Amino acid sequence: MGETRRGKQKKAEAKVELGFEEALGQLEGIVEELEDGDLPLEEALAVFEKGVGLTRNCAERLEETERRIEVLVAEGETLVERPFEAEE
Amino acid sequence: MSETTPRVYSVAEVLGGVNRMFQDRIGRLWIVGEIKDLRRPSSGHAYFTLVDEAGQLRAALFRGNARRMAFEPEEGMEVLAYGDLSVYEARGDLQLIVRQLEPRGLGALQQAFEQLRQRLAAEGLFEVARKQPLPARPRRIGVVTSASGAALRDVLEVTRRRCPGTPILIAPTRVQGPGAEDEISAALAAIATRDVDVVLLVRGGGSLEDLQPFNTEIVARAIAALRVPVISGVGHEVDVSIADLVADERAPTPSAAAEIAAPDDEVLYRELASLWLRLSQATLAHVAEARQRLVHSGDVLRAHAPSARLAAHRERWLAAHRALLRTGPRSVDRLRNRLGALSGRLDSLSPLAVLGRGYGLVRRHSDGAIVRDPADAPAGERLSVRVARAEIEAIVDTSRPLGDL
Repeated sequence: MGETRRGKQKKAEAKVELGFEEALGQLEGIVEELEDGDLPLEEALAVFEKGVGLTRNCAERLEETERRIEVLVAEGETLVERPFEAEE
Repeated sequence: MSETTPRVYSVAEVLGGVNRMFQDRIGRLWIVGEIKDLRRPSSGHAYFTLVDEAGQLRAALFRGNARRMAFEPEEGMEVLAYGDLSVYEARGDLQLIVRQLEPRGLGALQQAFEQLRQRLAAEGLFEVARKQPLPARPRRIGVVTSASGAALRDVLEVTRRRCPGTPILIAPTRVQGPGAEDEISAALAAIATRDVDVVLLVRGGGSLEDLQPFNTEIVARAIAALRVPVISGVGHEVDVSIADLVADERAPTPSAAAEIAAPDDEVLYRELASLWLRLSQATLAHVAEARQRLVHSGDVLRAHAPSARLAAHRERWLAAHRALLRTGPRSVDRLRNRLGALSGRLDSLSPLAVLGRGYGLVRRHSDGAIVRDPADAPAGERLSVRVARAEIEAIVDTSRPLGDL
């Protein structure tokens, strides 16, 4: 028992890939599971940990306020994305 | 041969004859031209001149016919006029007595719109079942519109307000004029190859001619072919274009389209905070329940060095507790603020706080099972006890059953 550091890191990376909606959905599932009240303490704490991770994940994404606006331009035969300069 | 005296006609006879000729030989006809010198006196009749490059023709639209018209004739408008030619005898002027008037370009465009609409509807392109669901929180929003138009400014403003952290990708295109439909169609196809979850197809208000590219088959098929959902916001609220009908979602204006696509991050944050509170409370309830089953023993215990197993469990709890408090200073502060008066309880909801109040978590050393009954801890059994600031290794002396608390 007990996760190795690498195992924990991989799990964290997987969480970053998880879509926001999915993460929120999983968090809702966890909350319902805990509210149903049937888990042994051991499992409850494990599930709680997972919930904390998901909450952090979602909160961090909502914290993001740096704007990234790009425009698609054709350069020769290919399409590239360039930062957008708003015209006045 | 004798000279025959030419027939001499009076003016009235000539004009009368001309009018009869118009009636018998020409009858009613359609004439196209531009409205000039439009006058609408209080009588309710309308007088104007129909002109083209080569000539002009006076026209009169009498009140009865004018009232039946669905649109307002305007100076400079190109129209199709249906009526009878006649000479107004008192002045000797040729004029068209107009029975019916139609805007020229508009009529053709409206007809084309209707025909295309029916054809695409028959193909099922407007079916609700075809429409793709929209993502609740897109990872990136695509916008197909003019790079210099007000529609783009509106979209950028709405998304800045609601979800500033969501990136935007713009595929610029002309939105009116000949050939614009090809550009729009190409822009749609291009942006769908990039990583966007939803596409906004928007442009500001304009005349039917201005909006024409959005009523073409090529744009309709381009929208239908996209595997990413499209929200259209073309023109003003009253304008319904073919693009609006094919799109997965339709909005009355570009701003409204952006509002549909963009989540309100404030609302999501409140939801998250609410879930966070429930998560903590539900976990606390579990801990409280476990607490009720703890054997609170003040009997003789002998302290031993903590076991590796217990240390691993403790690490887990501590890590969760740390994660609770150190999500990231800003995030936690915001979450705390959101919870308002309840924010002070955040720490108290941590399972470790329970231990701080004097309770211990008792486990069997051999398998880590939590001790609840006397049978779990017979005499001689080695126990690991976690209290607020210590790990205690103990051996059971005696254990006796207690009733439920």
